[in-house]
Amino acid sequence: MLTRSGDDLFSIAVSSAREAQALAQHLRDTGEWLEVIPGIDTVVVRFDAASWGADRVSAAIEEAVISSPCSLPESGELLEIPVVYGGDAGPDFDALCQATGLAPGELIALHSSGDYTVDMIGFTPGFAFVGGLDERFRVPRRDEPRQRVEAGSIGIADGRTGLYAMASPGGWNIIGRTSYKLFDPVAANPFALQAGMRVRFTAINAHEFES
Amino acid sequence: MNITVIKPGLQTTIQSGSRIGLRHLGVPANGAADPLSLALANKLVGNTWDAPALEAALLGPSLRFDSRCAFAIAGAHAVVTLNDEQQAQHETLFANAGDELVIGAAAVGARVYIAVAGGLDADVVLESASTNLQAGFGGHKGRALQVGDRLEVASGEVEFLQTPDEFRLPMSSSWGLRACPAGESDRLDETSRHALFDTNWNVDRRADRMGLRLDGPALSVSSDGRMPSAAVMPGTIQCPEDGVPYLLSVDAGTVGGYPRIAQVARLDRHVLGQLRPGDHVRLLPREPDEAVGELRAKLAYWREWLPDVEAIIL
Repeated sequence: MLTRSGDDLFSIAVSSAREAQALAQHLRDTGEWLEVIPGIDTVVVRFDAASWGADRVSAAIEEAVISSPCSLPESGELLEIPVVYGGDAGPDFDALCQATGLAPGELIALHSSGDYTVDMIGFTPGFAFVGGLDERFRVPRRDEPRQRVEAGSIGIADGRTGLYAMASPGGWNIIGRTSYKLFDPVAANPFALQAGMRVRFTAINAHEFES
Repeated sequence: MNITVIKPGLQTTIQSGSRIGLRHLGVPANGAADPLSLALANKLVGNTWDAPALEAALLGPSLRFDSRCAFAIAGAHAVVTLNDEQQAQHETLFANAGDELVIGAAAVGARVYIAVAGGLDADVVLESASTNLQAGFGGHKGRALQVGDRLEVASGEVEFLQTPDEFRLPMSSSWGLRACPAGESDRLDETSRHALFDTNWNVDRRADRMGLRLDGPALSVSSDGRMPSAAVMPGTIQCPEDGVPYLLSVDAGTVGGYPRIAQVARLDRHVLGQLRPGDHVRLLPREPDEAVGELRAKLAYWREWLPDVEAIIL
């Protein structure tokens, strides 16, 4: 379903983050848009309203919706992200154990045993919304967002793992931290993660983190 | 040649054009919060519209020129002095080696733009020289200016130029922003829908390049006020759980989980950079195609002085 969401914006409702990513990629490949931004269940297109009429834009988008694949090609790449769980690195770790009824060891084992997929990048540069979380982790965001969450923090909320590529305010329940550099603005490829990429978390201890 | 920062001002950054086409990677627009004023200042010193220049918020910097330099000021109204002598906005100005430029407090409007002939040397990161304060990249070391910073200028010879009266962007403390329905506009209850467009909103103290809180009656949305993360832009008005509308600006994140209740139309987004705490804002309802018609008329008007206006008001 296509709706106008501003004078130079269209929003397309889709059924999953996978579909949103595939459609967004397809739109970028087939048209000249200012922005194509996939969300969890939407894709927003910003077009140049100075030179493009809305009818022409909506026709082009509808055509892309029909010809788009349902998901991005399966990525063979599997990125292992080392995580220190709990302690100073994970200020919400204990609260999450309580909320889920999992013992600390069980929680770490469960989180680091899953095979995950990056559903979406967004919010801040490189912030990753990672899907595939076990149902037992289902908790909402914190009532009071933190003013500052450290770079590399690993949070849980609304059925996903969130990876803070840089320090920012945030409301996810922080269970750990990685030293893996998720965003480096001056690197040849600034973004370690991309939508569709497969991810696994490995538990390490604080000593390994430092080294 | 160099410019030395004697006092940095409240928040002075190097800004250029915005980052475009990177929002799906989480990279915000950045760039001049009022790109039209940036372009007006750059024009007066013979630069391309988006040559890296200084954007000074509310209280401007004091700067010393190390050699002869042409510069120009546009944007918010503020007292500008060169060696204690008052200077005009909207015309090419010339400084000699050792001259000290002082940009005072903005009296009307929020941001002053200081362009120098040849443009400022700046870090180009992710396709723009604009400073991203949150992640700390671009511009001058990815941060606001500090005492003692030395900015390099690629000098250039320029001729004296004045902005014609009809292209001196008017500043105000009372603004009308044309706005269209956004993704979740229909979640506003009827009272709130009327209040959104009938209220003379007050810009809250918490107003920066990320966004501005609009004080007025609390709005309420149906559902629990949360939604799956979806794209937001400069000009998107969100309704967070406390019901205080939040107008996103150029440094705002790329996705959000609060209902999007209105979207400021493209033609008025450059105004976001001039809204200051205490200003009044009225949202003017527009159908999308109506706003596009007005956009095209505005672009046609400005094209006479700024041929690149399509890229400026983008």
